[in-house]
Amino acid sequence: MLTLHNLAFERNQYKVFNPVNANLKKGEVLQIRGDNGSGKSTLLRLLTGLLEPHHGAILWENQSIAGQKDYYQQQLQYIGHQNGIKSYLTVFENLTLQSVLAAKPTTPAAIHLILEKINLKHAMHTQAFYLSAGQLRRLSLAKLLLYSTPLWILDEPTTALDWEGQQFLMTLLTDHLSQGGMAVVATHQSLPLTGNTLQVERTHD
Amino acid sequence: MISALFSMMHHEIQLTRRQAFAWLTPLLFFVMVVCLFPLTVGPDDALLHKMAPGIIWVAALLAIIISLSNLFRQDAEEGYLDLLLLSPYPLTLLVLCKITSHWILYCFPLIFITPLLGLSLHLPAHEIGILMLTLLLGTPVLILLGAIGAALLVGIRGHGLLLPVLIMPLYIPVLIFGTNAAVAASLHQSINSQFAILGALLLLNLGFAPLFTGIALRMGVNQ
Repeated sequence: MLTLHNLAFERNQYKVFNPVNANLKKGEVLQIRGDNGSGKSTLLRLLTGLLEPHHGAILWENQSIAGQKDYYQQQLQYIGHQNGIKSYLTVFENLTLQSVLAAKPTTPAAIHLILEKINLKHAMHTQAFYLSAGQLRRLSLAKLLLYSTPLWILDEPTTALDWEGQQFLMTLLTDHLSQGGMAVVATHQSLPLTGNTLQVERTHD
Repeated sequence: MISALFSMMHHEIQLTRRQAFAWLTPLLFFVMVVCLFPLTVGPDDALLHKMAPGIIWVAALLAIIISLSNLFRQDAEEGYLDLLLLSPYPLTLLVLCKITSHWILYCFPLIFITPLLGLSLHLPAHEIGILMLTLLLGTPVLILLGAIGAALLVGIRGHGLLLPVLIMPLYIPVLIFGTNAAVAASLHQSINSQFAILGALLLLNLGFAPLFTGIALRMGVNQ
């Protein structure tokens, strides 16, 4: 269970967004809404533990993540704006490297299967540099299939995806939630999934 | 874990090799700077011989500084640093892997081409050998120290020439002992002390630099 308690982040002594409170239980998705520049991505980075909050706390299983960061970060998968994909590596190499870095080794056969699912098998040995924005997004979502974690943190995952890609993402999310997973998703369109919506607002100074 | 680190290094080397321009520029710069000296100083063998260790060391140092701007910039832009920071492996070790592959890619060719450049500066064979050994011990120190600087600047946009200004003072001891060993060799003096100090610098930085680089990366991402 993930709890956000009065969470706020400051940049140059100004709060980026009004303090937020939220609760995320197993099988639920927390949808994060907000205008452009309202601090959605900052909030998601706070939830990954990459940024430290200035006020409030993030609780994982009722304990602050500050004291259990290594454990907590192994419970989550984060897909941000920048995909973490190396442009000069091929699609296949990128997935291999990601599984290696996450300490979840996988087999080439498993990667082939994933590439088939995300419809990138034909581009397996293409360098990521040559992929389109939508293909890159598919490749970054492939990480979710590489290994399973209870918590997904996705920053506008539908960006650049075609209709088929969006359906694929919805299937992924539904499966994940039905298996007791959790997801925090920053999005502009409302996803038909169970859970709460959190509105992030820019502070007015 | 060891195999994971090797796999990461393998990928690092692959992806740098594919960017031939970025990869070969520092090496070409090194060769060109050294070649300028025989052209400008003139065909004075004794003078060139005397200056050779200094020329090669300064050129190597500048080439390494050029290469360092590639070390974390792309990783930060592509969001790859997040993967490193979120990885369950110790960040210090991942950083050490990156530094090692950077050294293999940028400094190995530089050391291998030194004999050719040494000949053009009228260095005798055994002094070239000594010079290569000092580079072998000294260049990793330069990369290790430079990595700290590159990591500190990772969150700052358009820092341009800040990196050389920041790390140059730290390079001075390596430069002094590196050239001094080669000069001492040409005078047939003992070079044990210089090598001992270069070795000590290497060990010291091998222990501390990856740790500090990791801390600097965490700070850089945390803004």
